[in-house]
Amino acid sequence: MDRVTVCRRTYPNLAVVTRVLSDDCEDFMVRREVTRTGFPHQEEHDDRTLPFRNRKGRGSHKGRSFDRSRRDRRRGNHAGGFGGPGPQSRLDDTDGDVTMSDNPPDNSSQNRFKPYVRPWRGDGRFDRDRRPGKGGGGRGGGGGARGGDRGGGGLRSQSNWYKVTIPHGRKYDKKWLVPAIQNICTVPYSPIQYHVDHNRVHFYVDDSAAASALQKCSHKITDSDGYKVEVHVNPSNPPAFLAPALKPEHLEHLRVCMAKRFDGSQQALDLNNIRMDPDLVSQNIEVILNRKTNMEAVIKIIEENIPELACLNLSNNRIHKLDDLADLVTKAPNLKALNLSHNELKTDRELEKIKGLKLVELWLNRNPLCELFKDQAAYISAVRQRFPRLLKLDGNDLPPPIGFDVETPTTIPPCKGSYFGSDEIKTLVLRFLDQYYSIYDSGDRQPLLDAYHDGASLSLTTPYSTQNPSRSSLGEYYKDSRNLKRIKDTTMRFRLLKHTRLNVVAFLNELPKTQHDIASFTVDVNTYTNTLLSFTVSGVFKEVVVDGKSRESTMAFSRVFITVPAGNSGLCIVNDQLFIRMATTEEIRRAFVAPAPTPSSSPVPTLTAPQQEMLTAFSQKSGMNLEWSQKCLQDNGWDFNRAAQIFTQLKAEGKIPDVAFIK
Amino acid sequence: MASTLDFRTHVDQSCRYSEEFVNIYYDCMDKKRRNLTRLYLDKATLVWNGTAVSGQDALSEFFESLPSSEFQVQTLDCQPVHEHATQGQTALLVVTGGLVKFEGNKQRFFNQNFLLTAQASPNNDQPVWKIASDCFRFQDWNS
Repeated sequence: MDRVTVCRRTYPNLAVVTRVLSDDCEDFMVRREVTRTGFPHQEEHDDRTLPFRNRKGRGSHKGRSFDRSRRDRRRGNHAGGFGGPGPQSRLDDTDGDVTMSDNPPDNSSQNRFKPYVRPWRGDGRFDRDRRPGKGGGGRGGGGGARGGDRGGGGLRSQSNWYKVTIPHGRKYDKKWLVPAIQNICTVPYSPIQYHVDHNRVHFYVDDSAAASALQKCSHKITDSDGYKVEVHVNPSNPPAFLAPALKPEHLEHLRVCMAKRFDGSQQALDLNNIRMDPDLVSQNIEVILNRKTNMEAVIKIIEENIPELACLNLSNNRIHKLDDLADLVTKAPNLKALNLSHNELKTDRELEKIKGLKLVELWLNRNPLCELFKDQAAYISAVRQRFPRLLKLDGNDLPPPIGFDVETPTTIPPCKGSYFGSDEIKTLVLRFLDQYYSIYDSGDRQPLLDAYHDGASLSLTTPYSTQNPSRSSLGEYYKDSRNLKRIKDTTMRFRLLKHTRLNVVAFLNELPKTQHDIASFTVDVNTYTNTLLSFTVSGVFKEVVVDGKSRESTMAFSRVFITVPAGNSGLCIVNDQLFIRMATTEEIRRAFVAPAPTPSSSPVPTLTAPQQEMLTAFSQKSGMNLEWSQKCLQDNGWDFNRAAQIFTQLKAEGKIPDVAFIK
Repeated sequence: MASTLDFRTHVDQSCRYSEEFVNIYYDCMDKKRRNLTRLYLDKATLVWNGTAVSGQDALSEFFESLPSSEFQVQTLDCQPVHEHATQGQTALLVVTGGLVKFEGNKQRFFNQNFLLTAQASPNNDQPVWKIASDCFRFQDWNS
């Protein structure tokens, strides 16, 4: 039985409507519509830009006041940054997910305990049901997320999102685990973004009542090995896939702002408290560097404009994880000095993610991690373990390191885009792919007979999954998966290899109808001789819903073609190996952003004379071929200027695939 | 020689060869990196995440620059390459996927494919398989 749960959540200036589609409590599809609510920008920003406004109304809360002063005292010890870290606080939640990225920027030492009554008081409609019953309750001192449940209102999350963690959850089948917890949980909920990380299973819920109820489910279920299943619940930020990306027009402002903050003589970029930059604030642009998309945008600008960057200041940006900074290792290989002071880094383990940087200077003072060390020597040693060449930490000189004269590499060469070898091959391959996939996606794959050699072979593999494959979208492909790691029977191995052109195309015709995102394609040309051209293509596609039969799901593929020359400088496939897997959330986010070309097999409507004229002009100006030019004009209602503007924008973002320029 | 065998025999053999190849290749990669280039033809090409590396010397240099690795191959598939493409030479397409952890880096998924050709060997009466081309990419599979 499918059921649809609809919940609505409002955040400052965003409304989120969530629909959870579930079948038999096992697989969930979460559909979210995030819309900006129409409130004046100034009001939305009030809370973020006026740091002390919140305190006025709520500072009298006893527990919180106590807590704040206690924390201030403790931090006070450490104010000098190098005066020796204070004792580790048992009350400090060192590994929770509380990040509070949306707090107003008051002193960083206080923001974790910002009152949770949300600042924005616009549309109360959706608001009322968010916090059932326990309007102003909550706990006093406490230590962030843990610490138990008091009177049912135990957990409080600023964002109303909670991350549920099942340690050792990897060993359980999702089909067993999810219903088992749902059965004993007193509040109904749907797990959102169920995923496995190391040994742990995580999912999100966005309902505080369910979060509290889930917390009580810990140690209630016994698994088949006799272990009790632990369930941890922590307040968290909304899952990353909900965070809005910076708009294209904002990126240009960000670039200009970064240029202003760049000192060419020192190759130094100062992004201290970038969120409060007057130039960005005046444009209503929020650059929040603990958001993946925002940090990625910054790193992309660095990569494209100042790859020789030597010093980077990221202080006062509430950074709590360094995952998104890992790219700096390859994108800014000359980086020598990094300032991460006044952030929210909770453990020194985060440094692992950027240890490929050849840092000589590093600032980490005023991060929670500084308080974890029993003394300064332990602190220095932990940092130096990651950055052996470090000479200065938090502005203080370190004794020079003495090493051994062997170097084991830990950096891997940078990953690059497509490799074609030559422009001639590039044209050949891109034209082939354009033609091949326009037929492949047209709904009738029979014409692909022309693309295959009489004796062609094709096989397909999917990753092995512990989930019941029939439950996942890969189910359609799984039964044909020729994974020799799992299939040992020689007859089966033989049967799964489709041989001869007729069998190959008949097989392809049976596969689900698809739409490929040509702009997502990466091509590597492996071999090119007079008789053979072999290349690997990877990218994303989605299944097209036919008669409501399949769900629209985005998948990724990697495909090897071995081809021989065919007449008219074409290619004829002799070997075809297709690997299909589920797309990652990141791939889904990026998929199908560029306009897709109309499949060439569909009839082209005749154009009027002025349209024809405009098309020629547009193609000349943009450099795109007629097909893509027409698509762009059509999408923009034959408004030449608008089409030109969109084209320029997409081109600047690199979202127009190379095939659009092949005439 | 290939044409005298029927396709079924050809497929059975290629499966055995590819299983053996994958064991040897990733064992060399992880534990005996120095020997790895011996598996490649003199003029072999590797396209590694979009970077092309050609020839024995460049390949040795490249593999030396890679951090030590731990590969876990989870998927393997192979096809006999059609002789039309190889001018009658026996060739094999091997396609792998799985997890790799390079020291100092996080564990990632990868997809890799190899074109193997049978070559007469100076030290051996029988022909040996050599890698003619190799294509490697990191992928972020969904787990």
